[in-house]
Parts: sequence; C-alpha cells; structure tokens
Amino acid sequence: MAQTDNPSREQILNQIRSGLRMEVPEARAICSNRQIFEAVTNPLQRFQQECVANLMECTLTANSESSALQLAKALQSLPAGEVFVQEHPSLRKLTALAASDRSIRWSSEGAPGEASQATVTLAEALIAQTGSILVTASCGGRGASIVAPCHIIYATVDQLVPDLQTALSYLARERKLDKNSFACVISGSSRTADIEKILVQGAHGPRRLVVILETGK
Amino acid sequence: MQRKVSLFVPCFVDQLLPEVAVDTVKVLRRLGYAVDFPEAQTCCGQPAFNTGYWNDARPCAEHFVRVFKDAETVVCPSGSCVTMVRKFYADLLASSPLRSDASALCARTFELSEFLVKVAGITDARASFPHTVTYHASCHGTRELDIRDEPLQLLRKVEGLKLLAMQRFDECCGFGGTFAAKFADISAAMGGSKAESISATGAEFVTAIDPSCLLHLQGILGKRQARARAIHLASILAQERT
Amino acid sequence: MSATAAQRFLQEAAVKSADLVHREIIRRGMESYDAAHLKGRARIKDWEAAREKCQKIKREAINHLDRYLVQFEQQVIARGGHVFWAANGQEACSYVKDVATRRGVRTVVKSKSMVTEEIHLGPVLEEAGIKVWETDFGEFIVQLRNEPPYHIVTPCMHLNRRQIAELFREKLQTEIESDDPAYLMTVARRKLREAFFSAEMGISGANFLVADVGAIAISTNEGNGRLCTSLPRIHVVVTGIEKIIPHLEDLAVLWPVLATSGTGQGITTYSTLIGGARQPGEADGPEEFHVVLVDNGRSRLLADPEQREVLHCIRCGACLNICPVFRHIGGHTYGTTYPGPIGSVLTPHLGGIAEFKHLSYASSLCGACTSVCPVKIDLHHHLLQNRRNATSAGATKMSERLAFRAWRFAMVHPAIYAFGGWTMRKVLRAMYGLGLAGSIADPMRPWNRHRTPVPLASESFRARWRKELGAN
Repeated sequence: MAQTDNPSREQILNQIRSGLRMEVPEARAICSNRQIFEAVTNPLQRFQQECVANLMECTLTANSESSALQLAKALQSLPAGEVFVQEHPSLRKLTALAASDRSIRWSSEGAPGEASQATVTLAEALIAQTGSILVTASCGGRGASIVAPCHIIYATVDQLVPDLQTALSYLARERKLDKNSFACVISGSSRTADIEKILVQGAHGPRRLVVILETGK
Repeated sequence: MQRKVSLFVPCFVDQLLPEVAVDTVKVLRRLGYAVDFPEAQTCCGQPAFNTGYWNDARPCAEHFVRVFKDAETVVCPSGSCVTMVRKFYADLLASSPLRSDASALCARTFELSEFLVKVAGITDARASFPHTVTYHASCHGTRELDIRDEPLQLLRKVEGLKLLAMQRFDECCGFGGTFAAKFADISAAMGGSKAESISATGAEFVTAIDPSCLLHLQGILGKRQARARAIHLASILAQERT
Repeated sequence: MSATAAQRFLQEAAVKSADLVHREIIRRGMESYDAAHLKGRARIKDWEAAREKCQKIKREAINHLDRYLVQFEQQVIARGGHVFWAANGQEACSYVKDVATRRGVRTVVKSKSMVTEEIHLGPVLEEAGIKVWETDFGEFIVQLRNEPPYHIVTPCMHLNRRQIAELFREKLQTEIESDDPAYLMTVARRKLREAFFSAEMGISGANFLVADVGAIAISTNEGNGRLCTSLPRIHVVVTGIEKIIPHLEDLAVLWPVLATSGTGQGITTYSTLIGGARQPGEADGPEEFHVVLVDNGRSRLLADPEQREVLHCIRCGACLNICPVFRHIGGHTYGTTYPGPIGSVLTPHLGGIAEFKHLSYASSLCGACTSVCPVKIDLHHHLLQNRRNATSAGATKMSERLAFRAWRFAMVHPAIYAFGGWTMRKVLRAMYGLGLAGSIADPMRPWNRHRTPVPLASESFRARWRKELGAN
C-alpha cells in the first residue's frame, strides 16, 4: 500500500504493537462530563466582542447594497493595486455593486498575485466562541486568506455558529476535507510577539482582517 | 483519656534544627496532646529515594514502618517527609511484606499544620508573635499534600503577627535535597530569587512548614545579610500567649 | 578529552545562574506569559475538566497508536499523498533530501518543527546545496545567529530588540533604521517573502495528526506556516508519530488548550488543516504532499508502561515557562532539542540514559510542571523514575553508590545513625572553629559557597528528649 519503498513501516508498526501489549496500570477512569466552555448564549454579540479582541474589523450590514458600500470603503482605503476575489456569483454581484475601479483577478484565473493589495472571499462559517472565520480551499484557494496585507470576508449571519465544536462537527459531517485539500480557522490578523513579547500585527499574513457581516435586518 | 500522638522527627531536624522538634512538642502539649517519641526512628528514606537509590531507601522505609507500626497518630513538622510516607511508600514498598502496614500508616501520618487544622480542628494555637512574617509555600506540602490554607489559618490567629504576602510565594526555594549540592549554582540562584521576593515584603521573618526550605533560605538570606530570618511554623506557634 | 553533556551542562548552568541580566530578561518574558496565561485560563470555564479531556484524548490515541496511524495513512494515500515511516532521524532526513534532489529543489521555506531540530534536517539539506529558510520569526532570528532555539514556543526570547536590529544589520545587509519591533518585523517579512514566493518546497511540522479525516493540523500566529504550505509546489510534513489524535472534533478542546498553555491566547491565529496536495479545481496549492512519520525512539518509550504517557505531550511549552530551573538557566543550557521539564524527562529515552540522566537530577522536583501540564503528564514523578532507572542501569558514580550503601546501614541501625550524626556535628564544628568553612576540606563546601553555614546544634533532639522532654 505504501507508495515508496519503506521497510521501516512494518518495523515501526510491529514495535508499536508489541509495546502496546505492555499493560499500563490503569489510572482512575476519566469520566467527567463537566462543561469545559461557557455556553455561547448570544452568538452575534459574542462574535463581535471576540473580533474586537482579535483586532479584526467587523461591520454589520442590512443588505447587499450596504455590504457593497462597506466593500467599496475598504477598497478605497488601500494603496493602489490589484485585488484578488473568490470566483462566486455572490461576489461577482457584490463587486459589481461596489463599482470599484480596481483591477480584479478572479480565483478561477489562478493564485493571487504577489503584489495583491487585498483578497475578498466568502467563508464556510463564522465561529462566535473565538471570533473566527472558517475557510476552506473552496473559498478562493489557500493563498486567498494569507498572501495579501488585507483579507476581506463577506458573510451572512446564518453562517454564524456558536462554537468550535459545532464548526468542527460540520467539517467532519460534510466531509469537507475530502473535497478540500485545506481548511483554516482564522482568528485575527497575522501577528507575532517574538521580540520582547511585544505584540506586532501583520507578520507574514494579513495585517487587516475585515468582516462584512450581512444580517438581513 | 489524653489524646496521643507520636512524633516523627526528620533526620536533619534531629541533628541540625532540634528546636523545631522541641517547639512542635511544646505546641502539641499545650493543645492537650500526649506526645511520645519512638527513639528507634532514623529517617523516612527520602534522600536515597530522591537520588534514585530505591533499593537503599527501601530498608530504611521498612524500618520506619516498623517503628511507627503501633502509633495511633504520627505527626511531623515537615511537608516533604510526610510526602515521602504518604505519596511514595506505596510504590517503594509495593513488593515488601510490610506493604499493608505501610498503607495503614499513611492514613495516620500528618504534617503539623494539617494535623492541627484538619484533625484536631484547631486554628488558634494560643500563640503570640508580634512580628511581620511572610509565608513560603513549600513545594511538597503544597503540591503533593495539598496543604494550602492550613498554615495561613494558623498564622492568622497568632496574636500580634502581621502576615505579608510575598510574590511568587509558591515558587520553589531551590533546596531540592541533593540538588542543592549537585547543582549548587542553580540552587543558589533560585534561592537568591526567593530571597529577593522575601526582602521585597520587608518582613522580619519568613516561615514555612518545611525545615529543609528554611535551612536553605536562612543560608541564602544570611549570605546576603538580609533583614529577614527563617523560622519554622512550629517555632512561631510555640511562642505562647501570656 | 571533550566534556560530557553533564559537564557542559554544569559549566553552562554555573555561568547562567550568575548572569543577572539574562535572569531579568527571562523574568520579564515569563511575567508577560504569566499575565497572558491567566487571561487565557479565564476564557475556559472549567480548566480541570479541559485537562482531563485532553488527557483522555491523548491516552486513547497513544494506547491505540498503530490503529490510528494506519487510519491516518490510508486517507492521505487515497488522496494521492505520500506517507513515509522513518525509524530514525537519518532515514527521515534521507527521505526529505531525496524528494528535494529528485524534484530539483534549490530553496526550502520551513515553518516551525521541533522534530526537524531533533533530527538535524537543516544541515543535511544545506549540505546537499539546498538553501533552507526558517520562516517563523523567532526561528529566523536564531538561524541567523547560528544557534538553536531557546524555547520550543518562543525561540528568541533571550534577545532584546537592539540585539536583533544589530543582527539584521550584520546578516541581512540592509539599512536598518530602528530597533522598533514592528519595523524589524517588516524587514523580516520583506526578506522572507522573497523566499516564500521562490521556494520549490515548504517543510512544516504538525501540531496534530487527525486520524479520522487523515489531515494534519498546524497552529501558527504569524501565517508563515500558511505560506510555506500554500506557495511552494511541494509540501513535506515532518512529524513525530505521537502527534496523532483520533477525531477532528478533539480539536475543539485541544486547540484552545494548546493556545492557552502556549501563549495565553484563546486560539492560535491560524489553525490550519491540510489533507493533501491541491485538488482539481482549487485555485492554488502544492502539487505534492508528503508526510514523514518519525519514530526515533518513540515506539520504545511506548513499551514503558510507567512512562508511556510522556508521549501525550502536545509541545505547548507551559512546563518550561513555569519551571524555576528553566527560569534561572534558560533554554540553551540544557543542550538538547527539548529543554525544560519535558526535555529532561524525554531526552534520556531519545538519546540514552547514561548521557542525559543529569537532566533528571537537575531539578528540585517542585512539581510545578506537573501542575500546569494541560494533558496531565506526571512530569516530576517521571524525573524520579528516570533517576531510579539511572541507578539500576549502573549509570551513577561508584562513590555515590557506596555512600548510599553506608547511609542505608546507618539508617537501619539507630545507634549508628545517632553516633554518625554526633560525629559529623563535632567534626564540622571543629573545622568551622578553625575557619575552614568553605575550604577544600569542607565536606559542606557546595553548601557554604553560597550560603552561611548550617547551624550545628550542640545536642540532637533525641538527646534533649532523653534528658528533659520525655515526660509529658
């Protein structure tokens, strides 16, 4: 079954199996069903709070017109340059409404350019517990959420789930990792604290993470 | 009929800090206990055990179990020595014929402050010690025996005593048994950091339930000519209220 | 004759123990971690329940390691990926080097992987003429300094901004205008971006291997792990076999716990899952995906029922952060890939007890590590077991063995013990009376170098008991 010539495979597996035959004196069985995390009672509010803590920008909009307005605003604030957008009808519509004169590279054309000023994508879900965006390769590919200094996400409130547990169950149930080579839970702008433990935003990934969250109200 | 306890005196207390044991006797007697001292005792075995010489520690532990086999209750002014008995005798004596005696002994062996507060139900030892004192939470007592509040409860009832909290009060003082000799520089560095935390409180005394910590800290504080002096909890409680 | 690892450790520890500047840097770093960690813990309602859950997950994974590894492998291969099982570091390095040379790789971008340090992968690739860029900011810095990482999570915590600015000035041959951390980051970003976009191969580690979906999980804050695994055409994962977890949903507790213990965050910024190379229809991504499963002594540790749980470690670094020994000697002093308590416990198993037992002795057994370990490994008790194993393997000094033999004799003969104690006090008192405290002749010399001498009571307690205290 192994594709490469790999005699150590059997050797290691055998060593593991014989090692496991040594019984571990069983420590007391762990069976606590205590709740680990506080239940999320108001997902939208929690998501917004976590976004603030994560140094993300989250704006609520009522409809696609106001979402387009937010997109236009975000794009205007950026230096000149190409913007990479996930190929999807809703994003085709949104960018048309935003009527920006930016040059757009669509994900159907390939990976984002190195000099992209921003990427615009959808998300698979939003996670209230940690203020996170769940993306997969279907959201414009891998580079879409990491290559440009600004990542803009267009999402709707029905995509909001309360916690990591729900998001991961969803990924497992929908077998998303069979259909997507990659998934990522993104919880803020890229950062590092490697120098003197001082937080610096915008390490290798986006410095700005902008969420346009359409509530339909 | 008077309640009885048998005194378990750590070997180095017997030889180097006898007043800690003397004070322990004073306190227990004042609170109405008859105290006996089984003279055949030597050591709980911790030095050999901690250094990895379990085969040498074992006969020492067996001797201990024999000495205290008939004791009703065993009290000891040292968290680390009581830890040895309660936490490690089971492993060490797993194949010994004295295994069940050891396990029975566990249930009746206590460190002084936990004995006073949890067994005797006493927090007021009728002591007086009008000085500023800071508390160092010795590692074995805190993490192995879960003795956290008992010493503080006793200290709070000492007349005239002002308790000053130290930063990182439960960080290791750096003694660690043979560690202090084998890795003397690290031990001294850790002691130095602890001494700084102590000095920062301005307290006249630092106290703990472990005489080994206090021996080490006194040495470090002395070398730095610090204001604070190390004193065992028993010695504070032994100062009777008049 | 070159110094043994133990001798080097003692020398280095002596230097670092006295280095107050170093101590202050570590203290400040740890203070910042302590504060963040406390905040992180507050986000978890029941921390003890979280620890128990994580322990349970890892216990299940390790106790069925073969089954879960095979399950993981099957899915990776079904998606076109390659899985290579490496018995040791040498096999792992050979495999990666072969893939690189066969595919014409000239530049590699690497995200953080302690296992690649363990097997010394960097030098093997460099020797084959391949340029390796460490892209984790801290790792990038220590790579420029040609030194190993100082800490498994924060590799350059021993350096301040001025030192880093100087380093960049010297090694990067660019104008360095200031030592502001944000500015220094942009300098590194610009430099590494060139590497990200030109490298043919990205090498990453894995924080977890998820068996039920056949994916690796990587947690980073900087995004370098993302770029390493998105841009180059080949992605190679180098991981220990013990990283396996049974279910994707286990990450619901493992991700927050790893982040809380490691940095105090609620979750690491980029929590990534990768199941293979790009699929048809995807906009980008590597064309090839390789997972190198490294054993290197881990399956042997599995066979030790007492210490098997050491394999539960999720490499969060919490034990390093709390350890008072680590805080005083720093990460480099250990001289091992894995420093701190987990390093002291694990290294004898990976590197041999004779050479590395000293690390198990270089601890006061305070137990702080055990109290913070998020998967509840009984770290300080394992150090005790290592000490016991060292003595039974005959790896300790003869003089010490004889000393304890004598000690044991005294301890079961109370009269001899009492006489021995009396003699010791008399001899020491005489010596100190002659002013010999701290001299070569002083048996308490290690003590007296740093401390005032122990008090020498004129009478033992048992003597006083007999004299005056006996009657109630």
